Amino acid sequence: MGVFIQSSAQISIQEPLCNNYVTKPVLHDEPYVRAIECDYKAFIDPISARRMGKILKRAIAVSVTALKASNVTMPDAVITGTGLGCIENTEKFLSAMTMEGEEFLQPAFFINSTHNTISSQVAIYLKCHGYNNTYSHRGISFESALMDAFMQFETGSAASALVGGDDEMTPGYFALLDKLNYWKKSAGGPGAMAGETAVAFVLSNEVSPVELSGVEILFKPTADEMNRRLTAMCERRGISIGDIDAIFVGRSGDVDGDRIYDAFCGKFFPDREQFTWKKLFGESFTSPAMGMYVADELLRSDRKPLLKHVLVYNHFQNKDHSLILLSKC
Amino acid sequence: MKICVTGIGIISALGRGREATYASLLSEKSNIAPLRHFKTIHSDLLSAEVRETNEELIALMGGDIKEPTTRTSLLGMVALDQAYKEAEIEENRPESIAFISGTTVGGMDKSEQYYRDFLDNNSRNEYIATHDCGTCSEMTAERYGKFDIMTTISTACSSAANAVILGANLLKTGRVKMAIVGGSECITKFHLNGFNTLRILDKEPCRPFDATRAGLNLGEGAAYLVLESEESALERGVVPQCILAGYANACDAHHQTASSDDGDGAYRAMNGALCSASLRPADIDYINAHGTGTVNNDLSEGIAISRLFAGHIPQVSSTKAFTGHTTSASGSVEAVISILAIEHNFLPVNLRFKERIEGLSFSPVTNAHQKVAINNVMTNSFGFGGNDSSLIFSRYKKG
Repeated sequence: MGVFIQSSAQISIQEPLCNNYVTKPVLHDEPYVRAIECDYKAFIDPISARRMGKILKRAIAVSVTALKASNVTMPDAVITGTGLGCIENTEKFLSAMTMEGEEFLQPAFFINSTHNTISSQVAIYLKCHGYNNTYSHRGISFESALMDAFMQFETGSAASALVGGDDEMTPGYFALLDKLNYWKKSAGGPGAMAGETAVAFVLSNEVSPVELSGVEILFKPTADEMNRRLTAMCERRGISIGDIDAIFVGRSGDVDGDRIYDAFCGKFFPDREQFTWKKLFGESFTSPAMGMYVADELLRSDRKPLLKHVLVYNHFQNKDHSLILLSKC
Repeated sequence: MKICVTGIGIISALGRGREATYASLLSEKSNIAPLRHFKTIHSDLLSAEVRETNEELIALMGGDIKEPTTRTSLLGMVALDQAYKEAEIEENRPESIAFISGTTVGGMDKSEQYYRDFLDNNSRNEYIATHDCGTCSEMTAERYGKFDIMTTISTACSSAANAVILGANLLKTGRVKMAIVGGSECITKFHLNGFNTLRILDKEPCRPFDATRAGLNLGEGAAYLVLESEESALERGVVPQCILAGYANACDAHHQTASSDDGDGAYRAMNGALCSASLRPADIDYINAHGTGTVNNDLSEGIAISRLFAGHIPQVSSTKAFTGHTTSASGSVEAVISILAIEHNFLPVNLRFKERIEGLSFSPVTNAHQKVAINNVMTNSFGFGGNDSSLIFSRYKKG
């Protein structure tokens, strides 16, 4: 069995639906930046679009773009990871209920507030009756979705899958998370720069330039457990940890969080090349989807021809950790 | 791989634990009553709240749970505690365990209570961090030691059923030796009002599958199942209670909040579950239906059942007239009820049913005291966005 990345698409704080970040990155120095939107008219009729939150429009645009770039027209599975779900609509309903009372609430915000609105709107758009699932677990929401997709292939339940990672960051929620010191207040201090994420991958069992060789989610792993799971993941792919050529590290600039990456790389990959992506794309609950996007793009390019196996490693508050192994075919 | 259930835990309006749940179902007493636990202008709306307050739930767990916590987590802990003990995990812990929980409301109970504080001052900031679904799962499970895999599914009313499916796949692909799966959800003002704006809450006690049905009553609760291979159960010396024989998820892909007229997604999910269990429609003895009591769901689901089981329609009931609609927890709450049906060879009645829905070929169960053999039970959970899941539990036979 092999699971191969056929195509991908992203909308983020870099230019949308393209890879211009490679040569012409949009540089940000503010802790809060919204995603650069694409023209949604190409994907959604304006009447439907008006009712949709940003996260839904972005998810549909990246899903359709990725599918068009692949041989897959109707995926066997649609699986999404989202840390906060449709937080814009959630806030609107919550705010109306709290500030204006329970008398005059409108159903539209509620309908579009549910986390799985993303996967279901994509399925309704595609008329896709296949397996449909949504994960919402902090910083491993996307990797949970990816692991589920991987198992759909392993168990023979699916031959193709559309997997997404989507999170929007509203001004209101940015401010709330700021109270928890998520975001950077000064250069060199704790906290990260916020980003927004909408990424879609089309996976199938047809050989392509990049294979998804493994995905693992771990909860509060000790160093020994990390070693065991990392080793097991590599062994299942028939390689050893030493065969991994480069690490895509979820370093966000948050000094406390970055120490965990230092320790991980120091222990397992002291002499391997490291790449990061959050400097360009910011931090979000589904930021690892962006990490996989960037790693996949680099493997496909000819900029680093010697890379064969690369690992995307991310952690969330040193509790939820994830490993994604990609291999060039 | 034969996937066995070796422990169950449940809390709902029917009470705590398997005995209370079974007794309540047998007694045919409704647990639907006006809301008590939080203030809302809709307090006249009927619901199926868990009797215990948060303080009482904390006391039940030994009193050492510190704020910030959420009702979803507290309900989850009570259910998880039972499942954990039944499966004798403490005594004989397998080498790897996954905890997969379904929730959609997550920590919304506290977010809606303290939202003004979040905006205006810093007195309740710790509850900002307990808002999301994943945090609620972690708070539920963390006191039970080491989990190798922990994640949260959020597909509205099919969340817990999808957690069961994920757990089974984790076992089948050898990622873990044991998976504790299910869901937890408390009633919040947020989704009470949400369902109310959709005009699908019945002002009377709900009447699933009845011609006069007029909507659902919200419920709350949590339930977890311990899944492991037969080999693992026997090795640990734990007796399997039943097996998870099959499962499937499909998407209706019709509308965000309404089911298609012919129940396409429901049909696909039920048919997929039968295929995965290698069972024929005639093998199913009882269907614990999703049966919310809304005009749309019960007709659509009923049509799907009529189509798939034509000529062999099994006994069908919705137990939501007892439990209310426990939304993200309903998949595992009703899985536990299905397991009890196998264990006791009994058919939970479809409370308050009087008149068959026009166009359906069957009426639900009204007599709980029939002599029946219940070997294979299907249980349905359908969520917003046409997220349809179907599970089949079967009597355990060694070997």
